[in-house]
Amino acid sequence: MTQKNQISTFLLTVCLLLAGCDMIEYHPYDLDIDGETGINEKNIAIIEETGKGRKEFAFAVISDTQRWYDETEDAVEAINRRTDVDFVVHTGDLSDFGAKLEFEKQRDILNRLNVPYVCLLGNHDCLATGKEVFNIIFGEEDFAFTYGNTRFICLNTNALEFDYTDAVPDFTFLSNELASLTPEVEKTVVAMHAAPYSEQFNNNVAPIFHYIIDQFPKLQFCIHGHGHNITVNDFFDDGTLYYQCPCAKKRAYLYFTINENDYTYEVVYY
Amino acid sequence: MKWFITNLLLCVVLVSARAASSDSLAAPRKWDKRVHLKYKGWERLKPTHAKWQYAGGMGVSSVGVGWDYGKRRQWETDFLIGYLPKKYASKFRLTFTVKQNYIPWSITFADRWVAEPFYCGLYITTIAGEEFWEKEPGRYPNSYYNFSTKIRPYIFVGQRFGVDVPHSLLRNVSFYYEISTCELYLVSKATNKSLSMKDILRISFGAKVYLFRD
Repeated sequence: MTQKNQISTFLLTVCLLLAGCDMIEYHPYDLDIDGETGINEKNIAIIEETGKGRKEFAFAVISDTQRWYDETEDAVEAINRRTDVDFVVHTGDLSDFGAKLEFEKQRDILNRLNVPYVCLLGNHDCLATGKEVFNIIFGEEDFAFTYGNTRFICLNTNALEFDYTDAVPDFTFLSNELASLTPEVEKTVVAMHAAPYSEQFNNNVAPIFHYIIDQFPKLQFCIHGHGHNITVNDFFDDGTLYYQCPCAKKRAYLYFTINENDYTYEVVYY
Repeated sequence: MKWFITNLLLCVVLVSARAASSDSLAAPRKWDKRVHLKYKGWERLKPTHAKWQYAGGMGVSSVGVGWDYGKRRQWETDFLIGYLPKKYASKFRLTFTVKQNYIPWSITFADRWVAEPFYCGLYITTIAGEEFWEKEPGRYPNSYYNFSTKIRPYIFVGQRFGVDVPHSLLRNVSFYYEISTCELYLVSKATNKSLSMKDILRISFGAKVYLFRD
């Protein structure tokens, strides 16, 4: 072999060895994603299957776990310690910088949950290529699923991230949802990242938004994150409560049970 | 950030000008055979080497030229242009990088082989594309995110091995690898035990060719 051949063989070997290695990164915002993708769709299939026919169940809400990996691990462990949680909803902000590594790492931690989970898009998740990474790893930013008799509508409400030019919140999605409700749906829960009247929300349409979601069968309550605190608001003075899940740093998750005639709400510290 | 880069570039230019104007050589090290080209006047503008790098947060592949300077040519400054293909970004994207290297030791052995067992430095890389901003757009309240998605500073350590080649244009070809991390990963690691070093460290490698045999 000539020296030139030796060098190119050496280079090729190194390339092949390193191509499979996680420590090769082209850019923190590239879309070269390692590991599992399409999480929401897969988990929704499990959620809908296990929920069939149920009128009483429970779910946990976590939110704003960005750059709090240790706390997110503890939340997963705390939820895994109990057997009375049917699924988990993450109301957005998995990442702080919108970087690919953050989504991958959060997914790996959340995958340790014993129960299926879904993730919503937060405003930090929209930074740089964050939304594209979110779409690949988790799925669409507006989605819905049914557990037993309850429809869960999960929405992107981060209008500021889209400079108010995209349909956020997407009323077409909501009206399609309304038009395609199946008979087993008796109740509705709406989940979002940023609540009405936060700086992220398109507040011009806040009352219209609430009016539309109120058209769904027996709207129980709304859940959201973004503010990093525990709050309960009746924004529209009609008795529909918006429960805010705190950030992971506060080491608390929300626990809801949906019962035949009512629901319960609890803040659980870990 | 702009101010920081301008200052950094200014420092680099000043240091190189000073180094280039100094005629006295450091106490010779028997094993350090790095060559001072002693260019005068405009010739100092001629790049002393070209580089190619794979990965390291500056795109899939980057190429560029650089200048070495200092009494033992222990400093190197490189300007690299890299790319992210459409496959790894929503669109084809270009990256631009300024890289500053400090190579304290260069050991020549068996006549033509060179080992540089440790070197280190930093680089600042920026990426083209409107989804990346240097400063958050005006729609946000003041200090909403407080970081730039466009400009990324990295620090690195590396090793380099080379060989002198008998060629009229090239003097030496060397291969290097580097372990690097950026500031976003460092702040993430600082507050999280659950992030391992493997999570935040990145491997890149590349080649350097010395140009312009005297």
